[in-house]
Amino acid sequence: MLWYLMKRLCLSVIIIVMAVGALFIMLHSIPGDPVSIALGPRATPEVQAAYAAKMHLDKPIYYQFFIFLGDVAQGDLGVDVFSNRPVALTLGEQLPYTIALAVAALGWAIAIGIPLGCLSAIWPNSWIDRVTGILSVGTIALPSFLVSIWSILLFSITLRWMPVIGAGDEGDIVDQLYHLVLPAFAVGLGWVGYLARMVRASMLEVMGENYIRSARAFGLPPARIVFRYALPVAVLPTITLIGVGFGGLLSGTVFAEIIFSRPGVGRIIYDMVLARNFPVVQGAVLVTIALYVVVTLIADLLVSWLDPRVRDTF
Amino acid sequence: MTKLTQSRRGFLQTAAFAGAAGLTGSIPGISWSAEGDTLTVRFDREMESLDPGYYVGGHPPNDVNWCLMPSLVHYGPSDNGWVPSPYVESISVTDSTHIDFTLKPGLMWSGGNGELTAEDVAYSYNRMKDSEWKGDYVAFDRVDVTDTYSGTIVLNQPFAPFMSLTLASGTGIINSKKALEAVGGKYTTEPPATCGPYVMEHKQAQYVKMRPNPDWTGAKPAYANIDCIFVTDSEAGALAFEAGELDCAKITSTSYARYQKELPENGALTVAGALQYMWMGINTENPKLADPRIRKAIQMAVDVDSIVAGAYSGTAEKSAGIICPGLVGHRDAPGYPYDPAAAKALIDEAGAAGLTLTLRTLNASERVLAAQIIQANLQQIGITVEVIPLDSGPFWEMGQESKGDTWKDLELWMMRFGAGPDPFEATQWFIRDQVGVWNWERWSSDEFEELYAKGIAETDTAERAKIYVRMQEIMEETGGYVWLTHEPEVFIHRADIAAQFAPSGEMQMAYFKPS
Repeated sequence: MLWYLMKRLCLSVIIIVMAVGALFIMLHSIPGDPVSIALGPRATPEVQAAYAAKMHLDKPIYYQFFIFLGDVAQGDLGVDVFSNRPVALTLGEQLPYTIALAVAALGWAIAIGIPLGCLSAIWPNSWIDRVTGILSVGTIALPSFLVSIWSILLFSITLRWMPVIGAGDEGDIVDQLYHLVLPAFAVGLGWVGYLARMVRASMLEVMGENYIRSARAFGLPPARIVFRYALPVAVLPTITLIGVGFGGLLSGTVFAEIIFSRPGVGRIIYDMVLARNFPVVQGAVLVTIALYVVVTLIADLLVSWLDPRVRDTF
Repeated sequence: MTKLTQSRRGFLQTAAFAGAAGLTGSIPGISWSAEGDTLTVRFDREMESLDPGYYVGGHPPNDVNWCLMPSLVHYGPSDNGWVPSPYVESISVTDSTHIDFTLKPGLMWSGGNGELTAEDVAYSYNRMKDSEWKGDYVAFDRVDVTDTYSGTIVLNQPFAPFMSLTLASGTGIINSKKALEAVGGKYTTEPPATCGPYVMEHKQAQYVKMRPNPDWTGAKPAYANIDCIFVTDSEAGALAFEAGELDCAKITSTSYARYQKELPENGALTVAGALQYMWMGINTENPKLADPRIRKAIQMAVDVDSIVAGAYSGTAEKSAGIICPGLVGHRDAPGYPYDPAAAKALIDEAGAAGLTLTLRTLNASERVLAAQIIQANLQQIGITVEVIPLDSGPFWEMGQESKGDTWKDLELWMMRFGAGPDPFEATQWFIRDQVGVWNWERWSSDEFEELYAKGIAETDTAERAKIYVRMQEIMEETGGYVWLTHEPEVFIHRADIAAQFAPSGEMQMAYFKPS
């Protein structure tokens, strides 16, 4: 297990460095002069030159990249060129909101999706299975931004049950949870369908295994067979899916953060790309990549712990 | 000591229970905005800087500064004129180059930076002469300080719009000399000292909260607290208003058209100004467009009524130049008709049938729609147009010689500028010095240059009107411009709030009050 962990950690570091490199090149390949865009048309040549020097934009691109990597290694993500605030500070404020949204969205999707998948597998081709199938495909097909807008129209404007904007008052955890409900619903809805379909397929496969047939032959109660012997095995691919899907969720939160005007890393990336505030974009994307790699790593380790055969295949 | 163990099966069971537990919870009561003494408004973007010398875009920096910082004059409630600010005992224009002012005593800067004085005024305006907004101070010479509270602003030439364009606008903000020098003479989003009815709490990308300034000795604003929430998406802003979470929000032309048909309960619309002018530019130096008959034909072929109806849902005003409605020198109609038949005849006469051109535009829905209408219009006269939508980065530098060679390939483009409440500001971008900077149509005229200088110095309104009308005629005669629209800055706000806006479309939140 330790050797497996070491290999996965090394791979994670390589992935992060490569992803940051690709991001860096892409960001600097966008047409347009970042100095003139950031400072506007009225900036004097002196101010433009000072900005370029401050951002290291007057240096070769590889030099800028290594400066950035060196700073990151020391925990320095740079300074916001507009506010002069440390990028790490800005991201430290934003990241908890994104994580809370992603976890809440995934949490309710797991809580609903996995039981639905189980029910469908236990009674295949029943009305429960058919309704679940229709709902699953329907929710998968709905883009999260559409769900966001519809949910605002229904729950906030028509019924006036839910708040629309912001993340709630600081220090008021109940208010913050309340502001989390609609965004988490919008982001997580598609995952309910994904998880239900995934668990159903896995469960059907496992329920056909010899050891399940033996359990039935021994007369074990059906519930015990499902929850003690079938589900723990069937859920393994789902854990991997959740790990990989967490990255997708992070990108999905961008829409929710914009539409619900929530703070978050996705929204800060969106805003700062438009403003060409390179240090914040670089820092935010780096943090997002790192988060994704860490979550994927945790999912892989969990799967390898739950199913030791996986370790030997890496 | 108990050893903590966790089996695989136990982990999965715990995770399942935890997930189910996450579903349970209670729904607390919701609190809506504008209850009591708190006003909640929308800011559509984060602020890069509040420094009057270096801010980018009027909203939201001006909205914030007018709550926190002193200035000698403010925009009045109902027209484009100025009124003395709450910071002055008196201010008067003594002649065409001298403005006397006397500050109210006892207005204190935050952070122990002393009293607001005439020295602060002199320091702040002198500093602007070297700032990125020095264009607003083109006529400013100096401030002669008379005593602690009084002084005289001296202009280097008569400059009619100085009060409304310079002092009342965001560039007329006064800083504390002591505090600003202490931080090196420049700042971004944290003013070194404030002196206004509010103090600010700013959380990046989330909100700006205005709270009462305990040291403020002037008149109290109607709303003790103002919460400015960053809502970058315009439609989300409109929805938040409908849900009762915002009291005032700037909206798009799409929402404006919708609300004109049916207003939300307790909603009211205010058009804060239409100081935007949009046109289709034509590169007069491009070989494909060198024949003036082709440019004239393009001017006559564009159906602006269809653009206003199709792209702006009828909410924008047809344009006839760069001077916006309500300003001196505004024209009611362009000097060319909409006449596709005559345009087609001109194209045939020039032997340009089958011409292919590119039309570049910002990648915004209204503009792309407008570009597509123009594409169809020009197709009717035998010109094939390829619409090229661009993001703001490449768009804003495509005509600038200092940013590469794209300007050489420019043919047609859609452009929109914002203006201040005086015609001078709009004309400054088209003088000879601006060719290859912001004059992408690449023409110049001696008469235009003379009129530009004359317009700055002229104080007679009727004479100024003649000057600026003629300047727009000169622009039009180059064949480099197809006037399109003046887009309004529209806000939706609670009907029981009397909202006040600057002519340039910023909120004067300290003047908001219950109606």
